[in-house]
Amino acid sequence: MEGPTTLPFDYDNQNSMVATAGAGGGGASNFLANLPSRGLFSSTVLSSNPGGMRVYICDHETSPPEDQLIKTNQTNILIRSLMLKKQKGDSSSKDGKVIAGKESSRKRAAEKALDGRGKRASTSTETVSRQDGSKPHLGGAQKDLQNLTVERLRALLREKGLSLRGRKASIWHCEQHDELIARLRAATE
Amino acid sequence: MSIWNYVVTAHKPTNVTHSCVGNFTGPQELNLIIAKCTRIEIHLLTPQGLQPMLDVPIYGRIATLELFRPHGETQDLLFIATERYKFCVLQWDVEAGEVVTRAMGDVSDRIGRPTDNGQIGIIDPDCRLIGLHLYDGLFKVIPFDNKGQLKEAFNIRLEELQVLDIKFLYGCPKPTIVVLYKDNKEARHIKTYEVALKDKDFVEGPWYQNNLDNGADLLIPVPPPLCGVLIIGEETIVYCSATAFKAIPIRPSITRAYGRVDADGSRYLLGDHSGLLHLLVITHEKEKVTGLKIELLGETSIASTISYLDNAFVYIGSSYGDSQLIKLNLQPDAKGSYVEVLERYVNLGPIVDFCVVDLERQGQGQVVTCSGAYKDGSLRIVRNGIGINEQASVELQGIKGMWSLRSATDDPYDTFLVVSFISETRILAMNLEDELEETEIEGFCSQVQTLFCHDAVYNQLVQVTSNSVRLVSSTSRELRNEWLAPAGFSVNVATANATQVLLATGGGHLVYLEIGDGVLTEIKHAQLEYDISCLDINPIGDNPNHSHLAAVGMWTDISVRIFSLPDLNLVTKEHLGGEIIPRSVLLCSFEGVSYLLCALGDGHLLNFVLNMNTGGLTDRKKVSLGTQPITLRTFSSKNATHVFAASDRPTVIYSSNKKLLYSNVNLKEVSHMCPFNSAAFPDSLAIAKEGELTIGTIDDIQKLHIRSIPLGEHARRICHQEQTRTFAICSLKYNQSSTDDSVAHHVRLLDDQTFEFVSTYALDQYEYGCSILSCSFSDDSNVYYCVGTAYVMPEENEPTKGRILVFIVEDGKLQLIAEKETKGAVYSLNAFNGKLLAAINQKIQLYKWMLRDDGSRELQSECGHHGHILALYVQTRGDFIVVGDLMKSISLLIYKHEEGAIEERARDYNANWTSAVEILDDDIYLGAENNYNLFTVRKNSEGATDEERSRLEVSGEYHLGEFVNRFRHGSLVMRLPDSDVGQIPTIIFGTVNGVIGVIASLPHDQYLFLEKLQTNLRRVIKGVGGLSHEQWRSFYNEKKTVDAKNFLDGDLIESFLDLSRARMDEIAKAMAVPVEELMKRVEELTRLH
Repeated sequence: MEGPTTLPFDYDNQNSMVATAGAGGGGASNFLANLPSRGLFSSTVLSSNPGGMRVYICDHETSPPEDQLIKTNQTNILIRSLMLKKQKGDSSSKDGKVIAGKESSRKRAAEKALDGRGKRASTSTETVSRQDGSKPHLGGAQKDLQNLTVERLRALLREKGLSLRGRKASIWHCEQHDELIARLRAATE
Repeated sequence: MSIWNYVVTAHKPTNVTHSCVGNFTGPQELNLIIAKCTRIEIHLLTPQGLQPMLDVPIYGRIATLELFRPHGETQDLLFIATERYKFCVLQWDVEAGEVVTRAMGDVSDRIGRPTDNGQIGIIDPDCRLIGLHLYDGLFKVIPFDNKGQLKEAFNIRLEELQVLDIKFLYGCPKPTIVVLYKDNKEARHIKTYEVALKDKDFVEGPWYQNNLDNGADLLIPVPPPLCGVLIIGEETIVYCSATAFKAIPIRPSITRAYGRVDADGSRYLLGDHSGLLHLLVITHEKEKVTGLKIELLGETSIASTISYLDNAFVYIGSSYGDSQLIKLNLQPDAKGSYVEVLERYVNLGPIVDFCVVDLERQGQGQVVTCSGAYKDGSLRIVRNGIGINEQASVELQGIKGMWSLRSATDDPYDTFLVVSFISETRILAMNLEDELEETEIEGFCSQVQTLFCHDAVYNQLVQVTSNSVRLVSSTSRELRNEWLAPAGFSVNVATANATQVLLATGGGHLVYLEIGDGVLTEIKHAQLEYDISCLDINPIGDNPNHSHLAAVGMWTDISVRIFSLPDLNLVTKEHLGGEIIPRSVLLCSFEGVSYLLCALGDGHLLNFVLNMNTGGLTDRKKVSLGTQPITLRTFSSKNATHVFAASDRPTVIYSSNKKLLYSNVNLKEVSHMCPFNSAAFPDSLAIAKEGELTIGTIDDIQKLHIRSIPLGEHARRICHQEQTRTFAICSLKYNQSSTDDSVAHHVRLLDDQTFEFVSTYALDQYEYGCSILSCSFSDDSNVYYCVGTAYVMPEENEPTKGRILVFIVEDGKLQLIAEKETKGAVYSLNAFNGKLLAAINQKIQLYKWMLRDDGSRELQSECGHHGHILALYVQTRGDFIVVGDLMKSISLLIYKHEEGAIEERARDYNANWTSAVEILDDDIYLGAENNYNLFTVRKNSEGATDEERSRLEVSGEYHLGEFVNRFRHGSLVMRLPDSDVGQIPTIIFGTVNGVIGVIASLPHDQYLFLEKLQTNLRRVIKGVGGLSHEQWRSFYNEKKTVDAKNFLDGDLIESFLDLSRARMDEIAKAMAVPVEELMKRVEELTRLH
């Protein structure tokens, strides 16, 4: 189950936060070296009041170019989305279904978050449908990896001779899923 | 007062909400852009420091401010979104020097719940789209096309309803946002989404992270090559990306602002809620993040925005204290701080309360504000006029003139101060101990009055007396040459510069001399028809030592004339009119414009614009500075030239936006002034007052002068007591120790001259001071401070207990005389018919001051009135009580003496959440509400039915764009009886952004005239970014938007004076009023503040 994620603290750094600045240039001094500089603020005497501030009076036309007066598309989000799908043409019926699936998956994913320890069986199928749902939008190797099951990922890892580490966990525990993908991706890059 | 009101800003907003750095005004120019709620300031970064460029008013409250650069552009564009759902993209047109609107639009939706956590506006780092989160559950996308033009916006449904922050991730092939949100169990998570522009939808992003720090509130996207995002929590900082996850614990703190130091995002500055500045370092190897480190650098003001400028300089913008320019030093100072504060920029915000007092008893109001919050709390004394900081003074009677001289021509400092009396001349000089002591210049004649002195070329000094001009070596101090007045004539007036002398003798003789090396040559002589009253040859042309024009004031025909030099030909003659002779003339130049100033014997000053080539005089203007003759002198302060007009009401004349401004100097009568820039007292002035010579420096030349009294704690209420010459404040101090954060509440007594705490009364734990009042009661001659408090218990929604404390000031100490427990928070206290009127939660309660048998006093409840949600603000006038309610706008109550009862007379049935109320006159009441609007309501005494009479009708509405915390009757300026504006009643208000404003009630005809002017100005002065002034000033809340009525925008009207002459003429023509008349009427209004 999901359980509370424990944050893997980098404990080595814990001491540095209490850095009571002072002890003979230690602490922050190491990190304050090589601050970016483009030659500004370089004069040894900074002028404290270099002239006044002019109040801007705008007496020229300020309307934007005609096509740059931006309005919001008022079409309802659902209708817009349906129309877009329809335009895609050929596999319209399938896509329509996909949308429904996706919407429901989102909704149920939200419910799942509320339920906390939700029903495992249903959630695992959820994810699959979600991934299927997002398929039409995806492209490229990275996206393909996202869609693979853990078994498939492991197979790929094995092919590349990489570690298969990671307990057998439910797929929707995405972190682990991502871990495998990340490893794969690192290897392919 | 009246229902026709004129609203104008006396002190602009100073609360810095946003800042950013980029190449806005040119491809090679690096700018710091600062948002101060309704204004943006553009600064230029130079090797010498920050150079202010422009102060741009925006017709909206700025919600987001971002610089970005679309592909193919050479300079950055500025994206601004306002709280009223307008946005604009601005570009700087380098050639025209103008701000151009690239795009603008309205991004409001008809349905949608505005976000609770503020509006978010972000721009994709690769400039593919602008993202806006304005309503819960919606993410608005404004896409860019490949030419950098914006396309139609659309909404995407965002599942997360309680969004805390959204940022774009760097280095993503598709635009990707990372959302920090809270679920309904208050747990915080982040999630990423890719924005599919074609499908107008989100696609689940590459990664997410659940169950973050419960205080996580801020996301920092990390640029390439590292990419990913930093999540700043209250106890941890986490770095998160698709491939890495690093976290470190931090000392508990709430991070308010961050600033990126390196372009690669490896170092960040973090500013927390207590003003501590930390450096966050991402350690990395081969573009992989290996860890995080955090280091404390030191303390600044509590930051609302941080911008790294360059070369270790950082701008800290603050909402709660002064903004700062700081430098990060490589080595810590003695206190262990790496932060060096180089400059502080005054911020009055938030003004929680203020009072209007006349401490110096000069008949001019000063405002004392409770400003700032938390550790940056302070009192600010704001007054109109310029102060002189006295550094030395000597008693000297009968000074007739003063000049400073240098000991060598190229010496940067003045050495001698020549002081002239009726029958002698004394010379003062700085000795080695930096004391002013009397000395001698042998070549000077010291037995007579000196008419004029000046440094001259070739290390010489010039002295003019009634019978000669003496040229003296400044090194040997011996006389080198002398010009003697012709027998029978004596010199009456004289002037000189480094190479020229012009003098006038009786009988209208004008003599022009030139100064050579050891020689004085009489070049020209002219005979005028009348006697000469004053002269000037101050060089304002290209040559700093030589003038080709001379100004001459005349007796008899009351004229001022311009002569050419050296030939003394008359160029221009201008009759002044009237019967008062000119007493002092001065040629001067401000901001590249040359002027002739001419002061009359009755305290009036005329000014003309002088054409240096033709000698022509134009744009004549007349102002009244005082009632006595004026002498004019130039001086410089901070590299700018100003004019000092010495008279019974000394004034500094300076120029801003090519407009002459007059500022009172906070001194009583001054007879003479001369600049005295000595090594010991640099940039000082020598000032001759009644029987006294003073050396002092002058404050910054600005209209309002602000003095800060840092308290280190947050003052919430203030009140002045004239009789004891004290202020009393209610304040709270946050003690941040390592173990726990506690808050201590106090009533403090301050001396009204030194502003030191003289006495303190500690309130109980959880007891907040809510109101304070200085008052006296019937049958008791003492004056008391009354303090109303509330016990704010952590478990209660509304306080159910409070106290009224009555103090008397004895021997500079607060003595508690009486206390009365109340059944709620005492939000307001008013003196009312010799009794005390308190607003306690939903009730108005009247207390009598009763004498007990034992001689002690107590407050006794007399009567009350229920029926409010929370009665927060109360004002009284006679028997009338005006109540500003939390939610129910304004209601009018009346106290009936016979029945001893308080009854409701009328109310405004609108649901305004009031933030301040004030009574304008018997029938008209002014309110401010929490959507930044002002409104007036009127009692309808003539109503036909009871129902009509019981309604307060809304008579004026206006969007101020500022949250008003307090109104007070009073004025910041001296009311001169001879000016028309002296009769106009005014109210001062203070706001959260640090604005001090003035509301003036105008006569109806003047209102109509100015309304017409405002309409005409709207056609000429356009809103920056295409924002509409009319829409901006329309009354706006959740329920309605209606056009402003019966309020005028004084800021717009007064900007008429900043227009070019051609534009002014255009407006004057449209108004069918002569332009001079129009200018005069607007200039008069500027003297209201």
